[in-house]
Amino acid sequence: MTPDYDLAVIGGGPAGVAGALTAALAGLGVVLIDAAPRLGGQYFRRPAPGFRAGRPGALHHGLDRFTRQCEDLAGRADVLTGHRVWTVERDGGAVTVRCLAGDREERPRTVTARRLLIAAGAHDRPLPFPGWDLPGVLTPGAAQALLKGDLVVAGRRVVVAGTGPFLLPVAAGLAAAGAHVLGVHEAGGRTGLARHPFLAAGKLAEAFGYGARLARHRVPYRGRQAVVEAHGDGALTHVTIADLDRDWNPVATRTVACDTLACGYGFVAQLDLPVQLGCALRADPYGDLAVTVDAGMRTSVPGVYAAGETTGVGGAVLAEAEGRLAGRAVAADLGRRVPPDPVLSRRRDRLAAFARALGEAYPVRPGWRGWLRDDTPVCRCEEVPLAAVREALELGATDARSVKLLSRAGMGWCQGRMCGYAVSCLAGGSPAGDARAGAGGQGGGEARPGAGPAAFHRPIAQPVRLGDLAGTAAEPPRPGPPGTPAEVSHPPTEG
Amino acid sequence: MSARAHPDFLWRNPDPRPSYDVVIVGGGGHGLATAYYLAENHGITDVAVLEKGWLAGGNMARNTTVIRSNYLWDESAAIYEHSLKLWEGLSAELDYDLMFSQRGVLNLAHSLHDVREGRRRVNANVLNGVDAEWLDADEARAFCPILEVGGHTRHPVLGATLQRRGGIAKHDHVAWGYARGADALGVDLIQGCEVTGFEITGGRVRAVLTSLGRIAAGTVALAAAGHTSVLAARAGLRLPLQSHPLQALVSELLEPVLNCVVMSNAVHVYVSQAHKGELVMGAGIDPYTSYGQRGSFHVIEEQMSAALELFPIFKRVRVVRTWAGIVDVSPDASPIIGTTPVDGLLVNAGWGTGGFKATPGSGWVYADTIASGRPHPLAEPFGLERFTTGALIDEHGAAAVAH
Repeated sequence: MTPDYDLAVIGGGPAGVAGALTAALAGLGVVLIDAAPRLGGQYFRRPAPGFRAGRPGALHHGLDRFTRQCEDLAGRADVLTGHRVWTVERDGGAVTVRCLAGDREERPRTVTARRLLIAAGAHDRPLPFPGWDLPGVLTPGAAQALLKGDLVVAGRRVVVAGTGPFLLPVAAGLAAAGAHVLGVHEAGGRTGLARHPFLAAGKLAEAFGYGARLARHRVPYRGRQAVVEAHGDGALTHVTIADLDRDWNPVATRTVACDTLACGYGFVAQLDLPVQLGCALRADPYGDLAVTVDAGMRTSVPGVYAAGETTGVGGAVLAEAEGRLAGRAVAADLGRRVPPDPVLSRRRDRLAAFARALGEAYPVRPGWRGWLRDDTPVCRCEEVPLAAVREALELGATDARSVKLLSRAGMGWCQGRMCGYAVSCLAGGSPAGDARAGAGGQGGGEARPGAGPAAFHRPIAQPVRLGDLAGTAAEPPRPGPPGTPAEVSHPPTEG
Repeated sequence: MSARAHPDFLWRNPDPRPSYDVVIVGGGGHGLATAYYLAENHGITDVAVLEKGWLAGGNMARNTTVIRSNYLWDESAAIYEHSLKLWEGLSAELDYDLMFSQRGVLNLAHSLHDVREGRRRVNANVLNGVDAEWLDADEARAFCPILEVGGHTRHPVLGATLQRRGGIAKHDHVAWGYARGADALGVDLIQGCEVTGFEITGGRVRAVLTSLGRIAAGTVALAAAGHTSVLAARAGLRLPLQSHPLQALVSELLEPVLNCVVMSNAVHVYVSQAHKGELVMGAGIDPYTSYGQRGSFHVIEEQMSAALELFPIFKRVRVVRTWAGIVDVSPDASPIIGTTPVDGLLVNAGWGTGGFKATPGSGWVYADTIASGRPHPLAEPFGLERFTTGALIDEHGAAAVAH
């Protein structure tokens, strides 16, 4: 069977669009698949055209450039927006990408391609604290998505907290949109980047820009502070803000009345698809996982490439550079003449070094565990409180997997995407440590080098309806692996 | 889960000693049950269970927990019924709530052939003292109201066999119950210990070679399910087993909607609703042989399309997770229990798709076989030699293996 395309790109953010465009310009047949109604990913999330937003660029850096890329791409490649990928299969020289399109009435859609570029981005990393499941508490990414994608200001009196440089644009955006931002509380200390002055220089202008905007709206930016508890009866009414010591243990607290809290502790790369495919992962020094790639953004799995946050959280500019590198590598690997671009490679390396430094500058410190109480939900989907996690540990659980078995933490709707980090830490390990455990011993299975954490071993990337699973069966059957006796009838077997 | 009932402790995590009377290879349900009954029934406690991953992390964590004993032939009915009787007292025996729920198992008939086979099976079961009933289509719908039995579907339901004593249990609790029991009786449960080879001299096994070093053993008992053939090959034995991926999936949580276990041979699916509320659905085995714990999507897709004709109410239910176990299937779809050409090396494998339900019975007869050096009477017909004598026990029908 001839694949439909030379290259399928998953993710329509800066990395995916740059990758798809680069490959298309090199003459490849390209399809780009994205879940959102409009290209942009998280960074360039834009309102649907029906919103008639007057000044779309007001909320973004570099939107014009991205818009031009999207327009360019539209004439050269197939762009499938509103398509959610739930699984990817690799069969010999081709990949099969299975998506669901549409909102209420989902339609399955299958795309095949010779090469696959995964640029699926990242999502916020929340940490649990008492009251984090109250309405009115959301992640900075969610607040930003509401603002950029729906032109909705998340609340009137907003507290922004957590760690990482992303808090700044979120607070600045909310303030500019009319919210009263009561403060930005950076748990890691406000001088995180000061330890890397030369690296930081490249981004200083941007940081000063946000700083100036925050100052204009009289938004205080505080270091070594965190929201350690959210209060309210049915909805958020106030938060407890604590001064922290070096390890994030609270030393003094006060309460602030607010109706919205945007709180997040960095980002987690979305690794479901690379893990499905068996791509080798690496752990950052600060314990986060990312896909291992070479200079051409090739993963350890032949024919599969990765760019953007998938290879390590690093922001939109790095993502675009990686996307372009990946597009060039795909084109070269498929026999197109692509002269090397050392400038682009050096640029990518420099930006990646900066991203690593940022990650190191904003580590999550262990003191947050002390913010939790026995009844604080750690896993919200399965309503698993800290006490249940602790009980699992007392019973002998030594990692996230055994905690999950004993407490059901991570077994619900989100399959551990939200609570996975917290559970790993509470179990005394790190997501990377659990990854090694997952790779080392699949009881009864083959240990696969680079296999992801046990919690990630789920062949579907997001919940899919049985009716849609069944619907795809209507497509023509594909041949099994070589040597399959196709006529043999086989059993249902209840084990 | 509000009413959790965990043990006060799980088990020790000992380092292996240099030698044991009995080394059991495989820390899944069967290995743990075998260890427990060796200690409890036979007083043999110088026992190690070696597990290359973690306890009950293989098929024990990857099955759909269906329990029944309505097999066709006398030999199978006897061993599965022995197992079911053990299930009925197991929570008390292990002093641990296994959440064993005898909610009834329906096996659907979709064709006149299925009807004839189903009625025959009911008669055979009754003769063997196994509870079984034949339900016509209306009775089947009365027993399971959400079942679509209409004649306009691709697979109309013409009737069903019902075993009321069949049901489901909580798989983790079963493993933990046996593990805790065996540990308390002195058995060493050793995780992260892979058996890489066997030391065999004079036709007798002397020791196992492991990732944690050499461990001498009087008897070595294999209980590694889908990987048993791999292990046996390391001892120079070629077992008549094929390993296939067997897939299952679990849905989001639902209110109670399905009151029993429903299985269908023709449609290749079986479904129950777990205690917490998620639907657990199993598919047929993937046709190709593999040791990968992941199957092909088209197998699930085709089977779900048929399953939804039986349960149109499930169409919008979302699947949150899929997985696969590795089943080892023998030529007659019956297990292999007993001695091998290597003295002191015993095998218990080939349970294929019936492994979970057989856990207590399998452990019971295997322990007896290990302790006494001759096959337990219930295990005797399942010896390896039947593949040379031809005395096969063909359970392709009742094992829910298509003919």
